[in-house]
Amino acid sequence: MTKREFDPQVKQLLDGELTLADLPAELRQEGEEALRLLAAVDREPVSLPAVTWRVMATLERRRQRRLTWLLAPALAAAAALALWLGRPANPPAVASSAMVTVRFVLVAPGAHQVSVAGTFNRWDPAATPLVRSGSADMWVATLSLPPGQHQYAFVVDGVRWVPDPTAPAIDDGFGRRNSVLTL
Amino acid sequence: MRRVALLVLGLAVAATALDAQQSIAARLSGRASPEIVALVQELGSSAASRGLPIDPLIQKAIEGNAKGVPSERVATAVRLVYAQLDTAAAALRSAGPNTPPDSVEIAAGGFAITAGLRGRDIAELARTGRPAADVTVGLRVAGTLAALGVPPADAVTLVSASLRAGQAPGDLLALPGRVQSEMARGATPAQAAAGLARAAAAQARHGPPPDRGPPPHPPHPPAPPHP
Repeated sequence: MTKREFDPQVKQLLDGELTLADLPAELRQEGEEALRLLAAVDREPVSLPAVTWRVMATLERRRQRRLTWLLAPALAAAAALALWLGRPANPPAVASSAMVTVRFVLVAPGAHQVSVAGTFNRWDPAATPLVRSGSADMWVATLSLPPGQHQYAFVVDGVRWVPDPTAPAIDDGFGRRNSVLTL
Repeated sequence: MRRVALLVLGLAVAATALDAQQSIAARLSGRASPEIVALVQELGSSAASRGLPIDPLIQKAIEGNAKGVPSERVATAVRLVYAQLDTAAAALRSAGPNTPPDSVEIAAGGFAITAGLRGRDIAELARTGRPAADVTVGLRVAGTLAALGVPPADAVTLVSASLRAGQAPGDLLALPGRVQSEMARGATPAQAAAGLARAAAAQARHGPPPDRGPPPHPPHPPAPPHP
């Protein structure tokens, strides 16, 4: 294996301090190559049967049924009318026919612990830890997510919130960036 | 009879608001300060009565707490999310008065606004005449393109042309990955989007090529989280 010295800005990309879009055009190819070298894993989303998603949809329906039994009949009738009017306050997420498997990869030199937190796990930094894979600096996690739009960030050593350097990012409203995953 | 109908309608609204309040309190339990819970309940009731989704409000409150953000700043961010949803809903309603937008479509519009699109951009995508589900995907993709650095107007042009060309949601979802590929070859985000928009417009005028062969891109975007 040969060693290669990357441009300092490409190193910042690998550290999660910059995104590909932040790199000058002449460095983007090098950045892409660096990420490919360090994250040589299959990242193609794969469609899987939506067993988990169907279970969640069923649970949601049962929760609603229980609520209906607890309410007085008049409220139940009113709620039914509201549903009939077609304007539910917060309908359950649309169950899709397939989950999408996504692999999250972060190159984080010197990190002791990395996780991913986002809208899919209630922003819980403890919910989805990444594991070391291949290179000692590369951290990986694989998740099955419902189709839709998700926001997330990596959490390094439990304190540092880092956007995915290879994904689109938006303002999180708190002065940081959230990565965006659209499936 | 009219009184009964009004009473039932009032009860329906009360039940909806009660359900929203309970749902918010349960979901924010241990994940937000009491003042943020109260704020989200207040905004959530208003959102529910106006047909806006409450999930983005809850998510932003949870996110702020997880990131250790002070409550005042979380409150500002939650209010901003509410305003963005409201703007998106108004834009969608202005574009297609026949069917009110559903909460999933409004949430997609809210995300697009967060990413830099404006209300009129949302309306333009909604006016493509495609089904709401396709417009929802289009809004998400336009927002994602803007998040990649594509100027919002160019992102709307590309997605709008793709929708008018009748591209399937899978093809729309592949657009950010295709833009990223062009960027990796040295194109600016605007140049990458413009090239794809020209191709989509040509497809809209002439239809797809007679023998397309295998699709050049997988049905789901290969790029996020890594290209």
